[in-house]
Formats: sequence, structure tokens, C-alpha cells
Amino acid sequence: MSIVKEFTKGIYESNPIFRIMLGLCPTLAVSSSVNNAIGMGAAVIFVLVSSNFIVSLIRKFVPSKIRIPIFISVIATFVTIVDLVMAAFFPALHKALGIFIPLIVVNCIILGRAEAFASKNNIILSIADGFGMGVGFLLALVIIATFREILGNGTWLGIPIFGNSFKPVLLMILPPGAFFTIGFLIGFFNWIEHRRLAHR
Amino acid sequence: MKDIPRFAATLTIVALIAAGSLAWVNEITKPKILIQQQKELKEALAYVLPGSKTGVIVPVKENRKIIYYMGYKDKKKKQFIGYAFLVLSKGYSSTIRTLVGMDSTGTIFAIRVLSQQETPGLGSRCQEIRNGETTPWWQKQFSGEKATNICVDKDGGQIQAITGATITSRAITNGISAKAKWLLKKIGRSQK
Repeated sequence: MSIVKEFTKGIYESNPIFRIMLGLCPTLAVSSSVNNAIGMGAAVIFVLVSSNFIVSLIRKFVPSKIRIPIFISVIATFVTIVDLVMAAFFPALHKALGIFIPLIVVNCIILGRAEAFASKNNIILSIADGFGMGVGFLLALVIIATFREILGNGTWLGIPIFGNSFKPVLLMILPPGAFFTIGFLIGFFNWIEHRRLAHR
Repeated sequence: MKDIPRFAATLTIVALIAAGSLAWVNEITKPKILIQQQKELKEALAYVLPGSKTGVIVPVKENRKIIYYMGYKDKKKKQFIGYAFLVLSKGYSSTIRTLVGMDSTGTIFAIRVLSQQETPGLGSRCQEIRNGETTPWWQKQFSGEKATNICVDKDGGQIQAITGATITSRAITNGISAKAKWLLKKIGRSQK
């Protein structure tokens, strides 16, 4: 049960999008540009770490049968507080990340990790888990967004990659493009794992 | 099920703490957020009514509500610039608030989309600013157009809709056109 191991598992082996397949809804919506992907990823890291921390802190006082409504209350309250505080004290940052914060409440990764890990482990390990899952989520989002933005808009982080003659594939920025990209990437990582295990 | 009272008590405590902390944070942040919004509106007014920084912008009220603004280059209100008005459009997934500045003939100086919650990556691009620029690229095309005569390209007009976000583009464009027609009619009537 090392801290480093809990952190790194969220990056590849138990990547929330490509392996555990949680939080696909906001992923589809927010992965159309690398800029949005980074914004959402950063916000999710912050919320995941904090939510895991709080859930782990109160885990001894939460009766098992009503844990889900309690976790959801904690997460929704916390995200709303973050949203309000940002709007009041960090208006520039809020403008940049604004839309992503409310979207996080419906991100299953937060509840998923609260339920699967933070409610059963100590604070330090829960923070490591939250941080690792968040970073894994950010990396996955950036990879998906890279494909979608380059093919669907001809840019990466807003910087044009191709010349003016490039005709972007509009489909890539729309939901079907997200499904295609995520599907191919999950298949790709499954194939890598399959080869890795076959070689043992 | 003798757990029920215990569960009810725990859930009530959690709900009370949640509601309590949210109410408290809301109270603390409400004035600051309001100040932010007023600051943004003031900046937007100065932007859509060019030249008004040296002068004054006067709100015109009806039934205690501001229905439009009049901008002047000088504080004595002798050099009239034009009108500024707020447009509320029903977008794809949110109400879009746009501030429009136009002269007395109905030609748009500039617009500024103040707030929207449209689809990230599609409709939300109406506020997107390109690398190295300072104002949203999509809004620039409105400057110089006749406010009462604008349409998106799909409806036969000259405003280029955002790719994949026709509804958002159309909502903003048609909202401006309708409100401008209303305002010019109102001013025309009051000048008789």
C-alpha cells in the first residue's frame, strides 16, 4: 500500500477513462479542444483530491447504507463552494474554467473514487489516489482532444498545424467524433495490454 | 429497521451542514460577484460605445428598469455617440446576454457577449479569443453592420455562423436584430 503506487495506478493501469471507463459524459463534451481538456483536467484534479480528502476524513461516521447520498451531498456542496469562491475572488480564473466546474458534479469519477477508495482508506492514500486518478483523467482528455482538435479544427491548443488548404473533418468536433476517438483509443490500449500479458 | 431514526438523523445533519455552509459562502460571495458583474457591464459599455470613456453613459429607465443606454463623448451630453442595449437570446442550452452598441442610424459599433452557457467547443466559441488577440473573433464581424438587417449565412445573410453552432449563432444574431428594431421604433416614437 505505498503512496506512489496509489498515485501511479490512476495514470495507466487503472486510467479512469481508458480502463475503468468512468466520467465518459463530460469527456465527450470537453475533449473537443486541448485548451478545454487542460482546463477540465485541472479542475477535476482539484475536486478529486479535495473530495477524497473529505470523504476519507468522515468515513468512520458515515453509516454504510446511506453512504451514497452523503457522498453526493459532500461532492455537490464542495463543487458549488469552489464555483462561488472562484467567481468572487478569482474572476479571471473563473472565466477561464467557469463552465467546467458545474460539469464536475456529474463526473462519475468523483463519486466512483469516493465509494471505491476514499471511504475505505486513510487520508494520505486517498489523496494520492485522487491525485493519480485526476492526472490520469487529464492525460486521457489531452490525448483525445489532440486527435479531435487536429483533425476537426486543424489546430492544437489554438495554434494552426496545417495550412489554409486543410479542410477540417467537422465530425471530429461533434459527439460521434468523440465516440470514434475514445473507442479506438480504448481498443488500442486493450491491445497493448493483451500483448504485454501474452509476452509474460 | 431500527436504523431508520439513526439514518434520518445522520442525513439531516449532513443536509444541515451542507445547506448551512452553502448559504454562508453564498452570502459572503454575493456582493463580490455583483461587483464583478457591474464592472464587466461598465467595461462592455465603454467598449460598445467608442469614445464614451471621456464622456458619460446614461441609462434610460422605464418602470424602474434600465431599457437602454445613451452614450456621449463629453460630460455635458452635447456630443451624442449612440445607444447601447442588452439582448437576451434563447440559445441552444442557455440564455445568452449580449450588449450591443449602435449609432442613431442603426449601424453597429460593436457587440460583446456578456454571458452564455452554450456547448463547450461549439456554441461557446462565440466568446473564444484567438492566440495573440484581445477580443472574440466571431463577434468582430458585427461591427459596421446594420443592426436591423443581420442574418446568419444559412438564412441568407452576411453573418458567418460558427461551424457546428448554427443555433447559438442564429440566436444571438436574430436577438440583436429584433431588439434593435424595437429600440429604433421606441426612439422614433418618443421623438415625435
